[in-house]
Amino acid sequence: MFDINHGNLDDSPDVGQEIVRRIHDRFGDFPARFQKADLVRLDVPQKDIIPVLSWLRTETPFVQLTHLTAVDWLEDGQFELMYLVTAPDLMVSLHLCVRLDRAKAEAESVFNLWLQAETYEQEINEMFGIHFPGSPRQGVPFILEGWRDMPPMRRDFDTVAYCDRTHPVRPGREHQDSRVYVGRKFGEKGYLK
Amino acid sequence: MKKFDPDRPWDLTTLPTTMAPQGSRPHAPVEDQCFLGAEADIKQPPKLQEAVATIKNWFRASSLNVLAFGTGCGAIELRPLSTSRFDMSRFGIPGAPTPRQSNVFIISGYLSVKTLTRVIRCYEQMPDPKWVVALGSCTINGGMYWDSYNTIKVLDLYLPVDVYVSGCMPRPEALIAGFQYLMDDVKKGKANGWHHYLENLEWYRENQKQVITDWDLPNYNW
Repeated sequence: MFDINHGNLDDSPDVGQEIVRRIHDRFGDFPARFQKADLVRLDVPQKDIIPVLSWLRTETPFVQLTHLTAVDWLEDGQFELMYLVTAPDLMVSLHLCVRLDRAKAEAESVFNLWLQAETYEQEINEMFGIHFPGSPRQGVPFILEGWRDMPPMRRDFDTVAYCDRTHPVRPGREHQDSRVYVGRKFGEKGYLK
Repeated sequence: MKKFDPDRPWDLTTLPTTMAPQGSRPHAPVEDQCFLGAEADIKQPPKLQEAVATIKNWFRASSLNVLAFGTGCGAIELRPLSTSRFDMSRFGIPGAPTPRQSNVFIISGYLSVKTLTRVIRCYEQMPDPKWVVALGSCTINGGMYWDSYNTIKVLDLYLPVDVYVSGCMPRPEALIAGFQYLMDDVKKGKANGWHHYLENLEWYRENQKQVITDWDLPNYNW
Protein backbone atom coordinates (compact mmCIF):
# COMPACT_ATOMS: atom_id res chain seq x y z
CA MET A 1 0.00 0.00 0.00
CA PHE A 2 1.29 3.41 -0.97
CA ASP A 3 2.16 5.96 1.67
CA ILE A 4 2.56 9.49 0.26
CA ASN A 5 5.41 10.39 2.64
CA HIS A 6 7.41 7.19 2.47
CA GLY A 7 6.59 5.36 -0.75
CA ASN A 8 5.52 1.78 -1.17
CA LEU A 9 6.20 -0.52 1.75
CA ASP A 10 6.46 -3.55 -0.52
CA ASP A 11 9.50 -2.07 -2.29
CA SER A 12 11.49 -1.62 0.90
CA PRO A 13 14.38 -4.12 1.33
CA ASP A 14 13.68 -4.61 5.06
CA VAL A 15 9.98 -4.32 5.78
CA GLY A 16 10.46 -4.66 9.55
CA GLN A 17 12.84 -1.71 9.77
CA GLU A 18 10.67 0.32 7.45
CA ILE A 19 7.38 -0.22 9.31
CA VAL A 20 9.04 0.58 12.65
CA ARG A 21 10.45 3.78 11.15
CA ARG A 22 6.99 4.76 9.94
CA ILE A 23 5.38 4.02 13.31
CA HIS A 24 8.09 6.10 15.02
CA ASP A 25 7.50 8.98 12.63
CA ARG A 26 3.79 8.90 13.10
CA PHE A 27 3.12 7.94 16.71
CA GLY A 28 6.25 8.35 18.80
CA ASP A 29 9.48 6.65 19.74
CA PHE A 30 8.36 3.27 21.06
CA PRO A 31 11.07 0.80 22.04
CA ALA A 32 11.47 -1.79 19.30
CA ARG A 33 13.27 -5.12 19.31
CA PHE A 34 14.11 -6.96 16.12
CA GLN A 35 13.66 -10.53 17.20
CA LYS A 36 13.89 -12.25 13.83
CA ALA A 37 14.05 -11.21 10.20
CA ASP A 38 10.26 -11.39 10.02
CA LEU A 39 9.26 -10.49 13.60
CA VAL A 40 9.50 -7.12 15.34
CA ARG A 41 8.42 -6.44 18.88
CA LEU A 42 7.15 -3.00 19.86
CA ASP A 43 6.26 -1.87 23.38
CA VAL A 44 3.37 0.54 22.97
CA PRO A 45 1.77 2.65 25.72
CA GLN A 46 -1.87 1.93 26.41
CA LYS A 47 -3.15 5.25 25.03
CA ASP A 48 -1.47 4.67 21.65
CA ILE A 49 -2.40 1.08 20.95
CA ILE A 50 -5.79 1.65 19.28
CA PRO A 51 -4.48 4.41 16.94
CA VAL A 52 -1.52 2.21 15.97
CA LEU A 53 -3.70 -0.84 15.33
CA SER A 54 -6.30 1.14 13.36
CA TRP A 55 -3.58 2.67 11.23
CA LEU A 56 -1.96 -0.74 10.62
CA ARG A 57 -5.30 -2.29 9.77
CA THR A 58 -6.47 0.40 7.35
CA GLU A 59 -3.37 1.90 5.77
CA THR A 60 -0.66 -0.77 5.73
CA PRO A 61 -0.43 -4.40 4.59
CA PHE A 62 -0.60 -5.48 8.25
CA VAL A 63 -4.22 -6.51 8.00
CA GLN A 64 -4.33 -9.81 9.86
CA LEU A 65 -4.69 -10.28 13.62
CA THR A 66 -2.88 -13.57 14.08
CA HIS A 67 -3.04 -13.77 17.83
CA LEU A 68 -4.10 -11.86 20.90
CA THR A 69 -3.11 -13.06 24.32
CA ALA A 70 -2.15 -11.81 27.77
CA VAL A 71 0.67 -12.29 30.26
CA ASP A 72 0.40 -11.75 34.00
CA TRP A 73 3.31 -9.74 35.41
CA LEU A 74 2.37 -10.22 39.04
CA GLU A 75 5.53 -8.65 40.49
CA ASP A 76 5.07 -5.48 38.42
CA GLY A 77 1.35 -5.31 39.20
CA GLN A 78 0.61 -5.32 35.49
CA PHE A 79 -0.96 -7.34 32.72
CA GLU A 80 0.55 -7.39 29.27
CA LEU A 81 -1.63 -7.71 26.20
CA MET A 82 0.15 -9.00 23.12
CA TYR A 83 -1.22 -8.34 19.65
CA LEU A 84 0.45 -10.28 16.85
CA VAL A 85 -0.36 -8.49 13.61
CA THR A 86 0.80 -9.98 10.32
CA ALA A 87 1.20 -8.77 6.77
CA PRO A 88 0.26 -11.93 4.87
CA ASP A 89 1.64 -10.68 1.54
CA LEU A 90 5.04 -9.78 2.97
CA MET A 91 5.22 -12.55 5.64
CA VAL A 92 6.28 -10.10 8.34
CA SER A 93 4.75 -9.90 11.82
CA LEU A 94 4.54 -7.11 14.33
CA HIS A 95 4.32 -7.99 17.98
CA LEU A 96 2.66 -5.12 19.82
CA CYS A 97 2.86 -5.34 23.62
CA VAL A 98 0.79 -3.17 25.95
CA ARG A 99 1.05 -3.00 29.72
CA LEU A 100 -2.17 -2.59 31.70
CA ASP A 101 -2.70 -1.81 35.35
CA ARG A 102 -3.45 -5.05 37.16
CA ALA A 103 -5.80 -3.46 39.66
CA LYS A 104 -7.93 -1.93 36.92
CA ALA A 105 -7.76 -4.69 34.34
CA GLU A 106 -9.53 -3.08 31.43
CA ALA A 107 -8.54 -2.59 27.81
CA GLU A 108 -10.15 -1.20 24.72
CA SER A 109 -11.65 -3.76 22.37
CA VAL A 110 -10.35 -4.26 18.83
CA PHE A 111 -13.53 -6.05 17.79
CA ASN A 112 -14.42 -3.27 15.36
CA LEU A 113 -11.09 -3.77 13.56
CA TRP A 114 -11.03 -7.58 13.49
CA LEU A 115 -14.18 -9.62 14.07
CA GLN A 116 -12.20 -12.62 15.27
CA ALA A 117 -10.95 -10.57 18.22
CA GLU A 118 -14.30 -11.34 19.82
CA THR A 119 -13.22 -14.89 20.64
CA TYR A 120 -9.75 -13.88 21.83
CA GLU A 121 -11.22 -11.20 24.07
CA GLN A 122 -13.82 -13.57 25.43
CA GLU A 123 -11.11 -16.07 26.33
CA ILE A 124 -8.81 -13.45 27.91
CA ASN A 125 -11.78 -12.15 29.85
CA GLU A 126 -12.44 -15.61 31.20
CA MET A 127 -8.88 -16.72 31.83
CA PHE A 128 -7.33 -13.46 33.11
CA GLY A 129 -10.33 -11.39 34.14
CA ILE A 130 -9.38 -8.52 31.82
CA HIS A 131 -12.49 -6.67 30.75
CA PHE A 132 -12.97 -5.36 27.20
CA PRO A 133 -15.90 -2.94 27.28
CA GLY A 134 -17.99 -3.09 24.13
CA SER A 135 -16.76 -6.48 23.01
CA PRO A 136 -19.56 -9.01 22.55
CA ARG A 137 -19.72 -12.18 24.68
CA GLN A 138 -17.84 -10.67 27.60
CA GLY A 139 -18.63 -12.77 30.66
CA VAL A 140 -20.16 -15.57 28.58
CA PRO A 141 -18.50 -18.88 29.53
CA PHE A 142 -16.11 -20.14 26.87
CA ILE A 143 -14.33 -23.12 28.42
CA LEU A 144 -15.02 -22.78 32.13
CA GLU A 145 -18.74 -23.37 32.48
CA GLY A 146 -20.01 -22.47 35.92
CA TRP A 147 -16.65 -21.19 37.16
CA ARG A 148 -16.96 -19.54 40.57
CA ASP A 149 -13.34 -18.83 41.46
CA MET A 150 -10.63 -16.36 40.50
CA PRO A 151 -9.71 -16.47 36.78
CA PRO A 152 -7.34 -19.42 36.60
CA MET A 153 -4.56 -17.95 34.47
CA ARG A 154 -3.84 -15.24 37.02
CA ARG A 155 -0.63 -16.18 38.72
CA ASP A 156 -1.98 -15.76 42.24
CA PHE A 157 -4.52 -18.51 41.55
CA ASP A 158 -3.36 -21.61 43.43
CA THR A 159 -4.01 -24.40 40.94
CA VAL A 160 -3.03 -27.33 43.14
CA ALA A 161 -5.07 -26.11 46.10
CA TYR A 162 -8.11 -25.61 43.86
CA CYS A 163 -7.61 -29.03 42.33
CA ASP A 164 -7.32 -30.72 45.73
CA ARG A 165 -10.45 -28.94 46.87
CA THR A 166 -12.54 -29.77 43.80
CA HIS A 167 -11.40 -33.01 42.20
CA PRO A 168 -11.15 -36.05 44.45
CA VAL A 169 -8.21 -38.44 44.05
CA ARG A 170 -8.38 -42.19 43.87
CA PRO A 171 -7.73 -43.67 47.33
CA GLY A 172 -4.25 -45.15 47.47
CA ARG A 173 -3.08 -43.00 44.56
CA GLU A 174 -2.48 -39.71 46.33
CA HIS A 175 1.15 -39.34 45.20
CA GLN A 176 2.06 -38.64 41.63
CA ASP A 177 5.52 -40.21 41.86
CA SER A 178 5.36 -43.73 40.48
CA ARG A 179 8.48 -44.69 42.47
CA VAL A 180 6.35 -44.58 45.62
CA TYR A 181 4.11 -47.35 44.34
CA VAL A 182 6.86 -49.40 42.76
CA GLY A 183 8.84 -49.13 45.98
CA ARG A 184 5.82 -50.12 48.02
CA LYS A 185 5.29 -53.18 45.88
CA PHE A 186 8.85 -54.37 45.23
CA GLY A 187 10.77 -52.99 48.22
CA GLU A 188 12.59 -49.75 48.66
CA LYS A 189 14.99 -50.03 45.75
CA GLY A 190 12.92 -52.38 43.69
CA TYR A 191 12.69 -50.04 40.79
CA LEU A 192 16.47 -50.02 40.33
CA LYS A 193 16.76 -53.75 39.73
CA MET B 1 -27.83 -27.06 44.25
CA LYS B 2 -28.60 -24.31 46.76
CA LYS B 3 -31.92 -24.27 48.59
CA PHE B 4 -34.54 -21.88 47.28
CA ASP B 5 -34.42 -18.72 49.37
CA PRO B 6 -37.74 -16.78 49.49
CA ASP B 7 -35.86 -13.60 50.44
CA ARG B 8 -33.85 -13.78 47.23
CA PRO B 9 -36.37 -14.95 44.64
CA TRP B 10 -34.33 -13.41 41.83
CA ASP B 11 -31.48 -15.88 42.42
CA LEU B 12 -32.21 -18.26 39.57
CA THR B 13 -29.41 -20.63 40.51
CA THR B 14 -31.55 -21.94 43.36
CA LEU B 15 -34.32 -23.14 41.05
CA PRO B 16 -34.20 -26.66 39.67
CA THR B 17 -33.64 -26.21 35.95
CA THR B 18 -35.36 -29.40 34.85
CA MET B 19 -38.01 -31.43 36.61
CA ALA B 20 -39.01 -35.01 36.04
CA PRO B 21 -42.54 -35.23 34.61
CA GLN B 22 -45.30 -35.76 37.15
CA GLY B 23 -45.58 -39.37 38.25
CA SER B 24 -42.50 -40.60 36.43
CA ARG B 25 -39.99 -42.98 37.91
CA PRO B 26 -36.49 -41.73 38.73
CA HIS B 27 -35.03 -43.86 35.97
CA ALA B 28 -35.98 -46.18 33.16
CA PRO B 29 -37.12 -49.70 34.18
CA VAL B 30 -34.15 -51.96 34.73
CA GLU B 31 -34.14 -54.87 32.37
CA ASP B 32 -33.19 -57.51 34.89
CA GLN B 33 -33.74 -60.39 32.56
CA CYS B 34 -30.63 -59.47 30.64
CA PHE B 35 -28.33 -61.26 32.94
CA LEU B 36 -27.29 -64.71 33.71
CA GLY B 37 -28.78 -65.80 37.01
CA ALA B 38 -31.30 -62.98 37.19
CA GLU B 39 -34.11 -64.79 35.47
CA ALA B 40 -35.56 -66.65 38.43
CA ASP B 41 -39.09 -65.35 37.92
CA ILE B 42 -39.32 -66.82 34.44
CA LYS B 43 -40.84 -70.28 34.65
CA GLN B 44 -38.32 -72.24 32.74
CA PRO B 45 -36.06 -75.11 33.62
CA PRO B 46 -32.70 -73.82 34.90
CA LYS B 47 -30.71 -75.44 32.12
CA LEU B 48 -32.78 -73.74 29.42
CA GLN B 49 -32.71 -70.48 31.32
CA GLU B 50 -28.95 -70.59 31.48
CA ALA B 51 -28.69 -71.45 27.81
CA VAL B 52 -30.96 -68.57 26.81
CA ALA B 53 -28.95 -66.11 28.90
CA THR B 54 -25.70 -67.40 27.42
CA ILE B 55 -27.01 -66.98 23.90
CA LYS B 56 -28.30 -63.48 24.68
CA ASN B 57 -24.97 -62.44 26.10
CA TRP B 58 -23.12 -63.96 23.18
CA PHE B 59 -25.23 -61.87 20.83
CA ARG B 60 -24.50 -58.78 22.88
CA ALA B 61 -20.75 -59.41 22.86
CA SER B 62 -20.87 -59.74 19.08
CA SER B 63 -22.69 -56.49 18.61
CA LEU B 64 -20.49 -53.78 20.08
CA ASN B 65 -20.93 -50.43 18.37
CA VAL B 66 -18.43 -47.79 19.39
CA LEU B 67 -19.65 -44.23 19.69
CA ALA B 68 -17.60 -41.78 17.63
CA PHE B 69 -16.77 -39.41 20.47
CA GLY B 70 -13.12 -38.64 21.12
CA THR B 71 -12.62 -36.79 24.37
CA GLY B 72 -8.86 -36.44 24.71
CA CYS B 73 -5.55 -37.36 23.12
CA GLY B 74 -6.58 -41.03 23.01
CA ALA B 75 -8.92 -40.27 20.15
CA ILE B 76 -5.81 -40.18 17.96
CA GLU B 77 -5.32 -43.89 18.66
CA LEU B 78 -8.83 -44.68 17.48
CA ARG B 79 -8.07 -43.66 13.89
CA PRO B 80 -5.42 -46.32 13.22
CA LEU B 81 -7.54 -48.74 15.21
CA SER B 82 -10.57 -48.28 13.02
CA THR B 83 -8.70 -48.08 9.71
CA SER B 84 -6.71 -50.64 7.78
CA ARG B 85 -3.61 -51.02 9.93
CA PHE B 86 -5.20 -52.33 13.14
CA ASP B 87 -8.71 -52.67 11.78
CA MET B 88 -11.06 -53.29 14.66
CA SER B 89 -13.84 -54.33 12.30
CA ARG B 90 -12.18 -57.75 11.98
CA PHE B 91 -13.23 -58.26 15.61
CA GLY B 92 -16.76 -57.30 14.66
CA ILE B 93 -16.61 -53.85 16.24
CA PRO B 94 -18.00 -51.15 13.98
CA GLY B 95 -18.31 -47.47 14.80
CA ALA B 96 -21.57 -45.66 15.28
CA PRO B 97 -22.16 -42.00 14.62
CA THR B 98 -24.71 -41.11 17.28
CA PRO B 99 -25.29 -42.08 20.91
CA ARG B 100 -28.70 -43.58 20.19
CA GLN B 101 -27.15 -46.10 17.79
CA SER B 102 -24.16 -47.18 19.86
CA ASN B 103 -23.53 -49.18 23.00
CA VAL B 104 -19.82 -48.82 23.76
CA PHE B 105 -18.41 -45.52 24.93
CA ILE B 106 -14.63 -45.15 24.81
CA ILE B 107 -13.55 -42.36 27.12
CA SER B 108 -10.31 -41.72 25.30
CA GLY B 109 -8.25 -39.69 27.73
CA TYR B 110 -8.69 -36.72 30.02
CA LEU B 111 -12.09 -35.19 30.62
CA SER B 112 -12.51 -31.52 31.28
CA VAL B 113 -15.59 -30.51 33.21
CA LYS B 114 -17.16 -29.07 30.08
CA THR B 115 -16.63 -32.33 28.19
CA LEU B 116 -17.89 -34.37 31.15
CA THR B 117 -21.27 -32.67 30.84
CA ARG B 118 -21.53 -33.72 27.20
CA VAL B 119 -20.25 -37.20 27.97
CA ILE B 120 -22.90 -37.77 30.62
CA ARG B 121 -25.55 -36.52 28.26
CA CYS B 122 -24.40 -38.84 25.49
CA TYR B 123 -24.02 -41.79 27.86
CA GLU B 124 -27.57 -41.47 29.09
CA GLN B 125 -28.93 -41.38 25.56
CA MET B 126 -27.30 -44.67 24.66
CA PRO B 127 -29.69 -47.62 24.77
CA ASP B 128 -29.24 -50.31 27.43
CA PRO B 129 -27.20 -52.42 27.79
CA LYS B 130 -24.16 -50.21 27.30
CA TRP B 131 -20.53 -50.31 28.33
CA VAL B 132 -17.77 -47.83 29.04
CA VAL B 133 -14.11 -48.42 28.18
CA ALA B 134 -11.78 -45.97 29.92
CA LEU B 135 -8.58 -45.40 27.99
CA GLY B 136 -5.40 -43.99 29.43
CA SER B 137 -4.04 -42.98 32.82
CA CYS B 138 -6.06 -39.77 32.93
CA THR B 139 -9.26 -41.67 33.49
CA ILE B 140 -7.71 -43.74 36.29
CA ASN B 141 -5.93 -41.21 38.50
CA GLY B 142 -5.65 -38.01 36.52
CA GLY B 143 -2.41 -38.98 34.77
CA MET B 144 -0.39 -35.99 33.68
CA TYR B 145 -3.37 -33.74 34.42
CA TRP B 146 -3.28 -34.49 38.14
CA ASP B 147 -2.94 -30.78 39.01
CA SER B 148 -5.22 -29.35 36.36
CA TYR B 149 -7.95 -27.06 37.60
CA ASN B 150 -10.45 -28.16 34.98
CA THR B 151 -9.88 -31.89 34.57
CA ILE B 152 -11.46 -34.66 36.61
CA LYS B 153 -9.17 -37.32 38.04
CA VAL B 154 -11.31 -40.36 38.82
CA LEU B 155 -13.74 -41.29 36.09
CA ASP B 156 -15.72 -43.94 37.94
CA LEU B 157 -17.12 -41.38 40.35
CA TYR B 158 -19.14 -39.99 37.47
CA LEU B 159 -19.73 -42.90 35.09
CA PRO B 160 -19.60 -46.68 35.57
CA VAL B 161 -16.51 -48.13 33.91
CA ASP B 162 -16.36 -51.73 32.70
CA VAL B 163 -12.79 -51.94 31.36
CA TYR B 164 -9.77 -49.78 32.08
CA VAL B 165 -6.85 -49.67 29.66
CA SER B 166 -3.85 -48.06 31.33
CA GLY B 167 -1.01 -46.24 29.62
CA CYS B 168 -0.23 -42.81 28.34
CA MET B 169 -1.27 -43.30 25.59
CA PRO B 170 -2.03 -47.02 25.23
CA ARG B 171 -1.26 -48.38 21.81
CA PRO B 172 -4.08 -49.70 19.61
CA GLU B 173 -3.09 -53.27 20.51
CA ALA B 174 -3.80 -52.49 24.17
CA LEU B 175 -7.23 -51.22 23.25
CA ILE B 176 -7.90 -54.39 21.23
CA ALA B 177 -6.94 -56.41 24.33
CA GLY B 178 -9.31 -54.25 26.35
CA PHE B 179 -12.09 -55.00 23.89
CA GLN B 180 -11.44 -58.71 24.25
CA TYR B 181 -11.70 -58.41 28.03
CA LEU B 182 -14.94 -56.52 27.54
CA MET B 183 -16.30 -59.19 25.19
CA ASP B 184 -15.38 -61.93 27.66
CA ASP B 185 -17.08 -60.06 30.48
CA VAL B 186 -20.19 -59.46 28.41
CA LYS B 187 -20.35 -63.14 27.48
CA LYS B 188 -20.11 -64.09 31.15
CA GLY B 189 -22.74 -61.50 32.06
CA LYS B 190 -20.28 -59.63 34.30
CA ALA B 191 -20.09 -56.26 32.55
CA ASN B 192 -23.01 -54.66 34.37
CA GLY B 193 -21.79 -51.10 34.77
CA TRP B 194 -24.94 -49.62 33.24
CA HIS B 195 -27.03 -51.61 35.71
CA HIS B 196 -24.92 -50.25 38.56
CA TYR B 197 -25.46 -46.74 37.20
CA LEU B 198 -29.24 -47.11 37.27
CA GLU B 199 -29.23 -48.67 40.72
CA ASN B 200 -26.98 -45.94 42.18
CA LEU B 201 -28.21 -43.02 40.14
CA GLU B 202 -28.47 -40.67 43.13
CA TRP B 203 -24.87 -41.32 44.15
CA TYR B 204 -23.60 -40.68 40.63
CA ARG B 205 -25.74 -37.54 40.33
CA GLU B 206 -24.34 -36.20 43.59
CA ASN B 207 -20.76 -36.66 42.37
CA GLN B 208 -21.56 -35.18 38.99
CA LYS B 209 -23.15 -32.11 40.52
CA GLN B 210 -20.10 -31.48 42.67
CA VAL B 211 -17.95 -30.69 39.62
CA ILE B 212 -20.61 -29.49 37.17
CA THR B 213 -21.70 -26.39 39.05
CA ASP B 214 -24.10 -25.05 36.41
CA TRP B 215 -26.04 -28.29 36.22
CA ASP B 216 -28.68 -28.27 33.50
CA LEU B 217 -29.24 -31.99 33.02
CA PRO B 218 -32.42 -33.64 34.28
CA ASN B 219 -32.32 -35.33 37.65
CA TYR B 220 -33.75 -38.48 36.14
CA ASN B 221 -31.93 -40.72 33.70
CA TRP B 222 -32.97 -40.38 30.05
